[in-house]
Amino acid sequence: MHISANKIIGVAALALIGSSFTVSRPDTATSRIVTAANNFLSSLEEKQRQSVLYAFDDEKQRATWSNLPTSFVPRGGIPLKDMNPSQRSAAMALVSAALSAKGFEKVQQIMEGDEVLKATDGGQPPRGNNGNPPPPTDRNGPPPGAPTGPPPGQQGNGANRPPFGGPPNGAMFGKDLYYISILGKPSEKDPWLIQFGGHHLALNITIAGDRGILTPTLTGAQPALFTSNGKTVRPLGPESDKALALLNALDESQKKQAILSFRLADLVLGPGQDGKTIQPEGLKASSMNERQRAMLLDVISQWAGIIHESAAATRMAELKADINETWFAWSGPTTAAPGKNISAYYRIQGPHLVIEYAPQTLGGDPSLHVHTMYRDPTNDYGRGLAAK
Amino acid sequence: MRSKLVAAAAILLSLCAAAFAHRLDEYLQATILSVEQDHVLASMRLIPGVAVSSRIIASIDTNGDGVFSEAEQQAYAQRVLRDLSITVDGRRARPTLLSESFPSLEDLRQGFGEIHIEFTVDLRRSGHERKIVLENHHQNAISAYLVNCLVPSDPHIRILAQNRNETQSFYQLDYTQLSASSNSFFSRVWSSLRSWTNSVGVASLFRLGMRHIAEGTDHLLFLLALLLPAPLLAAGSHWAGFAGTRHSLLQILRVVTAFTIGHSITLALAALDFVRAPGRPIEVLIAVSILVSAIHALRPLFPGSEAIIAAFFGLIHGLAFAATLSQLGLGRWERVAGILSFNLGIETMQLLAVAAILPSLVLMSRTRSYAILRIAGALFASFASLGWIAERLLGVRNLVDTVVDSAAHHGLWIAGALLLVSLVSSSLPKFRRYPSTLPSHEPRPLLRLSSHPLHDDISHS
Repeated sequence: MHISANKIIGVAALALIGSSFTVSRPDTATSRIVTAANNFLSSLEEKQRQSVLYAFDDEKQRATWSNLPTSFVPRGGIPLKDMNPSQRSAAMALVSAALSAKGFEKVQQIMEGDEVLKATDGGQPPRGNNGNPPPPTDRNGPPPGAPTGPPPGQQGNGANRPPFGGPPNGAMFGKDLYYISILGKPSEKDPWLIQFGGHHLALNITIAGDRGILTPTLTGAQPALFTSNGKTVRPLGPESDKALALLNALDESQKKQAILSFRLADLVLGPGQDGKTIQPEGLKASSMNERQRAMLLDVISQWAGIIHESAAATRMAELKADINETWFAWSGPTTAAPGKNISAYYRIQGPHLVIEYAPQTLGGDPSLHVHTMYRDPTNDYGRGLAAK
Repeated sequence: MRSKLVAAAAILLSLCAAAFAHRLDEYLQATILSVEQDHVLASMRLIPGVAVSSRIIASIDTNGDGVFSEAEQQAYAQRVLRDLSITVDGRRARPTLLSESFPSLEDLRQGFGEIHIEFTVDLRRSGHERKIVLENHHQNAISAYLVNCLVPSDPHIRILAQNRNETQSFYQLDYTQLSASSNSFFSRVWSSLRSWTNSVGVASLFRLGMRHIAEGTDHLLFLLALLLPAPLLAAGSHWAGFAGTRHSLLQILRVVTAFTIGHSITLALAALDFVRAPGRPIEVLIAVSILVSAIHALRPLFPGSEAIIAAFFGLIHGLAFAATLSQLGLGRWERVAGILSFNLGIETMQLLAVAAILPSLVLMSRTRSYAILRIAGALFASFASLGWIAERLLGVRNLVDTVVDSAAHHGLWIAGALLLVSLVSSSLPKFRRYPSTLPSHEPRPLLRLSSHPLHDDISHS
């Protein structure tokens, strides 16, 4: 059989076109997250995989998150400490794929802060006047290969003292004690959910087609200010600074409406308070000028922008459309020491949004310990999308 | 280790002694209310901090056996409810315990266990304006409270206001409610109409409008200052005599109507988001408007153009009314009905105020003593407006609000006294301003701005 050069060229060209089609298959954020999730799952042993996977509509597992250390509120899934280095990096690659660069950095800083907390006081909490220390609930030592010892440059500060009784040897705090679980099957079409969290962190990331929903999510920090590798880190610094800047940009009569006359000692809609919509209070953004509204959106984007960029853009567009129905309320000191966080509570609430920033007064400087909440009462865990 | 314990003990001691509260030594009590047609549902979360948990545990585990028995849980939940004082529409109401759940004693001891208590309060029907007060006296000395209500799922219920004291141990919820029951055709039509108006809160907005004028003394002061010279005729740079009853009434009507038109326009435009104005400059301009009308009452600045001035400044006052309305967070189309009822409330209160002083104004303006009233009133208004300008522009705190508020508070007495004085002065011939003949020994008014006293006598109608 005679094969002409033309035919060879033709076949080669066809092969080239065909392969370029497979290569140029749309590389969306969702497809990258699905790939990362499948990589992570395939890196696990069968037993681990079973511990990680839940049904998408498992309401109990959905609600299994908290600001508290994992020794008090056990999370589902498996912790980083039970993974080998390659599983661990596959897990973090999945979290990273689902988040924006800034969002992932924030998550790492929160975990880093918990490591500082562990090194500062871990396992040696102040005792109340109630006598006996509690029995250790976790006897596991640090996992092999896990970083031990204090990170460089950590700050000794009485305010970092953890508030709870707990087991010795630091098994209550630290980077190792963050858990990952997957609800549903990683898919580019059907909704599924990634949960990642531990002390002061609870990410609930619903992936539904090209949408990504981050609500409900809890971020927190203790210490909320520390040094790492000679650099000062405030994981929730922009949340504090930008809100204070907005407050300062209000005129007196706006402030009168925004500043509540009563104290807010904690989150109103923290863990366990899913699906509740409280009566909004404070200053409505329809009474703000264009610049103030832009500043408010900037504060909101500190939470809405944790998720990967294209999902964040969709979310910000939704919140921008709601802006005139969005409220801003403040309670507590209206100033902050330079370079430090505010010690005031604030809340931003709209038709599809609740943000709460609640400094915790646990026997120290409240600016050094904060819990925040980010919710969409109409779409927590992507419920709103599923309903459509 | 020992030194850490000592340090912890020292911190604990200082916490117990200190006036500032820490979560470590606080008992967080968070309540969320859900208002329905005939009852309110309350869910409480109670979380004692580490330093106070043993105290709370002791009051639950009364037999000290280290276990929260069913009976002990019940008893504690009932005790919490007994420590609440609840009133509905001013009447004492009793909570009914629905459920309680307790964490383990150990979780509670460590400061993260949550006690959950659910209770309900019967809301027997009465009126559309409703008020629930929840006072929590449970463990006052060590507690931090959070109280909120959910956005009502029932469209017949609309939250008007939530008021709390600093610690939130006192919480007051004001809301409007419309009954959804009734059967006849007529009452159904009526009720759907009412449900629409009620969903906007027409009645309460009307009242808010009235209260806004009654309490927003600056608006009233502007109007009254502008009305002071209404019964008079201007002669050059000073106020001359009485312009006649018909003229006076027409002039008052013109000024009030112009003010109403002015503020209605901007109220509507601002409430519908067509215009927006920053709050503080508006407040300052309102104070300036009072000063302008006060000066006008002393010496005519714009004789004959009072109505135009009233309409112009009305535009500014309307923007301030809109700010009040926008705080309520009504939707854009709800606001149409809202503006109407709010504005009607404003007009009603305004007319009541004008009606209260109108007879005195007309009666007294025939007499010599009117100059005293006019000048005293104008000076009072200038004093108040200057105080407000200083406060609103420069942030200088002063007594103006207190003085003006207390005057407004006694508004009815003042109006009554004024009427009495005007009746007396107009009936006593020696105070009459325009006797048929002018005796040379007629005593002059105590205060007179006019440098040409005879002008006062020119224009007797």
